[in-house]
Amino acid sequence: MASALLFTALGLVLTFTPRRDWPTSAIALLAGIGAAGVLPYPRNWLEGAFLGCWISVSGTGAMVHLGRGLAPLALVAMSLNAGFWGTAASAASGSKLAVLQALPCVLIFLPAAWLAAKFGPLPIKVVSSWVIVIAVLAATLQMLPVTPGYLPDHLE
Amino acid sequence: MYSRQPTSSIPSVLSRARIVAAAAMCTLLSNPAQAHMGTGLPGGFVSGFVHPFQGLDHLLAMISVGLWGAFLGRPLIYVLPVVFPAMMAAGAIMGMFSAPMPPVQLGIAISVLVLGGCIALALRAPVWMASLVVAMFALFHGYAHGKELPSAADPVSYSAGFVIATGLLHIAGIGVGFLNQHPMGVAAIRGIGVIIATLGCCFLWQAFGS
Repeated sequence: MASALLFTALGLVLTFTPRRDWPTSAIALLAGIGAAGVLPYPRNWLEGAFLGCWISVSGTGAMVHLGRGLAPLALVAMSLNAGFWGTAASAASGSKLAVLQALPCVLIFLPAAWLAAKFGPLPIKVVSSWVIVIAVLAATLQMLPVTPGYLPDHLE
Repeated sequence: MYSRQPTSSIPSVLSRARIVAAAAMCTLLSNPAQAHMGTGLPGGFVSGFVHPFQGLDHLLAMISVGLWGAFLGRPLIYVLPVVFPAMMAAGAIMGMFSAPMPPVQLGIAISVLVLGGCIALALRAPVWMASLVVAMFALFHGYAHGKELPSAADPVSYSAGFVIATGLLHIAGIGVGFLNQHPMGVAAIRGIGVIIATLGCCFLWQAFGS
């Protein structure tokens, strides 16, 4: 979920970047995944990996609201970051390879670019705000030991 | 020599058929177990997604935000659907930490009444005022969600579900708001606003009653 949202956010950022920068971003993303894939992750690093991932989702999603697209170097940094934290979150939750299942989410830039060309950037910005909100809520949930809505029944 | 005796097997076949028929009948007549229904909370994406659709007060408020935004035009057509979820998240966080708030049901009822009233009166509020009104009401809606947020079953997917459903309701409101491009559209939208505001009055009455 965390990795999928991060890649979705990156896909939304790519919507507003020139097409010539898309391959560079893809290479940077794969490099980030590869680099994070060889690192060992201790089991107690789970919360840190998820928090980093949620912060990255918020940061990446916020970039969509910039008036103009990202500079090429910033896009590379953003893609590397997405690859790293996406893999870290997957690794922390059990399987590094699970990141590959989330990877297609980045392809959202294809329909999003079409949508932006047809209706303007507003729908993409609205969707990006949803992604940010989900990340903020998820990061906050992580800090709560038990959410107030939890009502254990007599079997627990 | 061993030979089969078909006459002796008929009763056993019949009794087997009776057992199967009885089992089938029991299966058909039995109800699902009702144990622990109503304890704990549902969770997951689908549960979060359907949540805003289950309460008419939430549903009308979300649609009203999109409708009012579409009525007010740019930039509020997209500012309001961005402000609402952002402040809803802030409200949800307050709810999770049980921060003190005025009665939430009252706030939600007033939100339906005020937003419906703004549409009914075709109120052309400035950007800051419309954003402030929507942000304030979003806090109440978010607080209610945050309080209800289950941790028993995948709260992250649950919150993703309700955020996306909320956004889709805004879009539905915007879609209805495009009626104002038609000659009778403005009157129709204001009529919808009147209905929403009237229902808001009912929610307010209920909130005072509870």
